[in-house]
Amino acid sequence: MNRRLLAVLLVTGVLVSGLCSGVMAEEGVTDTEIHIGSWGPQTGPAAAWGSVPRGTDAYFKMINANGGINGRKIVYHSFDDSYNPAKTKAGVKELQEGTGMFAWVVGVGSSPGLAVRDYLMERKIPWVGPAAGSLHWIKPPHKYLFGVYPLYYKEAKALVRYAVENLGKKRVAVAFQNDEYGKNGLKGAIDELAAHNLKPVALVPVEFKDTDMKPHVMKLRRSNADMVLLWTSVGHAVRLVGTSKAMKFAPQFMSTSTCSDFPLMIHISKGLWEGVITAAFGELPDSDNPLLQTYKAEAYGKFAAPKERWGVFYYAGILFAEPLVEAIKRCGRDLTRERLVKELEGLRNFKGIGPVVNYKPFDPKDPNSRQGTHATFLVQCLKGGKSKKLTDWITIR
Amino acid sequence: MIDFLQMIASGIAVGSSYALMGLAMVIIYKTSEVPNFAQGEMALIASFFAFMLIDSFGAAWYTAFAGALLFAILLGCFLEYAVLRRAKEPNILGMIVITIGLEMILLGFVSWKFGADQKTMPFPISPYDSLVIGDIFVSTLELLTLVVALVIMLVLFFFFRFSKLGLAVKATQQNPVAARLMGIRTNRILMMTWGISSFVGCLAGLLIAPTIMQPYMMWDPMLKGFAAAVMGGMTSLPGAVVAAYLLGIIENLFGGYVSIEFKSVVAFAIIVLVLCFKPSGLFAKHYVKKV
Repeated sequence: MNRRLLAVLLVTGVLVSGLCSGVMAEEGVTDTEIHIGSWGPQTGPAAAWGSVPRGTDAYFKMINANGGINGRKIVYHSFDDSYNPAKTKAGVKELQEGTGMFAWVVGVGSSPGLAVRDYLMERKIPWVGPAAGSLHWIKPPHKYLFGVYPLYYKEAKALVRYAVENLGKKRVAVAFQNDEYGKNGLKGAIDELAAHNLKPVALVPVEFKDTDMKPHVMKLRRSNADMVLLWTSVGHAVRLVGTSKAMKFAPQFMSTSTCSDFPLMIHISKGLWEGVITAAFGELPDSDNPLLQTYKAEAYGKFAAPKERWGVFYYAGILFAEPLVEAIKRCGRDLTRERLVKELEGLRNFKGIGPVVNYKPFDPKDPNSRQGTHATFLVQCLKGGKSKKLTDWITIR
Repeated sequence: MIDFLQMIASGIAVGSSYALMGLAMVIIYKTSEVPNFAQGEMALIASFFAFMLIDSFGAAWYTAFAGALLFAILLGCFLEYAVLRRAKEPNILGMIVITIGLEMILLGFVSWKFGADQKTMPFPISPYDSLVIGDIFVSTLELLTLVVALVIMLVLFFFFRFSKLGLAVKATQQNPVAARLMGIRTNRILMMTWGISSFVGCLAGLLIAPTIMQPYMMWDPMLKGFAAAVMGGMTSLPGAVVAAYLLGIIENLFGGYVSIEFKSVVAFAIIVLVLCFKPSGLFAKHYVKKV
């Protein structure tokens, strides 16, 4: 009898302790692994931005090859959402509720990100470095969401400010993708123009499925704009510039950092992207920055797919994930979501291959407590896809 | 006034690719009464075949284009022979579902094989060169597309009207049993129309590819071509072409004067209107089967 009682007690003890350790351990973290999720379009019209999560993949593989972080390897789960918010939501739920992610990183696109933001925040799951500069990440700020990408709003302000103050442009028109992404840029442009007592001379929405750009260019041409700000997908931006050339309309074109992969832009525009000015969020591809060179050799050189190109979007996947990796390192072996948030909040003047990143303790009234950077710089596309730096880092407050 | 004329010119220019896709759909519909939703992707895979010949094998563009057109004919014949003909007791709905399935398979294959990145098809005429007529601009490539669309329309029109084979196609459409009794190999006729249709669609694909080349490039032209074919009555070749140009012009005028935001959907609003007031389309003369 005693022996049976002892056995029951022993089994109960084992079960309870097992259960306890299960409860205590953080979701997505084991003794040897950290599960991190992401998404991006590998198919569909936005697939040019699909290299971002692939860059993150190579970065994590490089970290794992060097022994992981504090004895744990990163297990990276990335899926193709085709830039379709419905697919993003389904994929995030499946990974979160099926495998269980410790945190999410990167994640391409404003609309796809917006579709899962509340889901992740309600469950207190950290999401670091969304690959989109949307105001929705920080207005209002969320305790578990940390922005790394300079806001589109501020990029647009920087571009318009440069056009008006340095290039003397007065007639600014905006062609914008008719969704969250485009409207963020549009708002920045309108606000900056208003600060100079100007108004946009034309606002031209571009639908994602539009292929013929002639009506759009006609509207821009009728406005006699001397600068056109393009806040669209890569394909649409190229066709707008090309169609403008065909219709002998030649303003100064400016565009967002999402169209700053100049070798790609020059290739698909057959050279017409030359002269376009864009914002940039990180080192240029041919920069001799030592950290960028290390990534190029250790991450891209060893782990990229055979036909992968060392482009801006590719290493943006590294840039957006750097603060997460740094915070995980600082957590030591005690890796919990709350600890991670605390360590992220402690990042001061953190510099990877992008702008300087700073966070603050969470303040629901201060969007800047969760926006790591406010800086961007402007570059101009030269012949052959080379780039010329027009400004230093500009901080827009 | 200049703006108005420019919009008309732009509408005609964009209508040409719709017209080619519309023609391709009408050819198949004329014989089998099946709207072929794989039309766009058949053109897509043939265009990527040309791209592969140029990019991986260093072929000249004209060799690659000729290869792609041949490939398109073979693909059309193959799909009819290997997939559609195998359907057991096919009804129209079943056939439509098969074409949608084919569309997805072909799209998936192109995305997998060639990746989803933007590419550009090497072609001697840049899509961004234009001719200036008065104050009106017309892209050179679109002018070429216009010429190709009109020539193809004429050739097909004469083929169906005056050639023996064309008559056999008509007979097969109107009464397959009687046609077979008269010695027409209706299966071969069907296979041949799939080949011709695929050829015409491929021409559209090859003329679109210098401007935009990625797996979704045929989606919009296919839908608009289908819209034009429906407007034109699904069986009328000139009907599809005229409707395609009308559609292009209306789209451009709507984008210019009403709303650029809803420009893409205006085509479908027009279809609804046409089908309400003239259910058999603007130009169709439907052959009524006697019981």
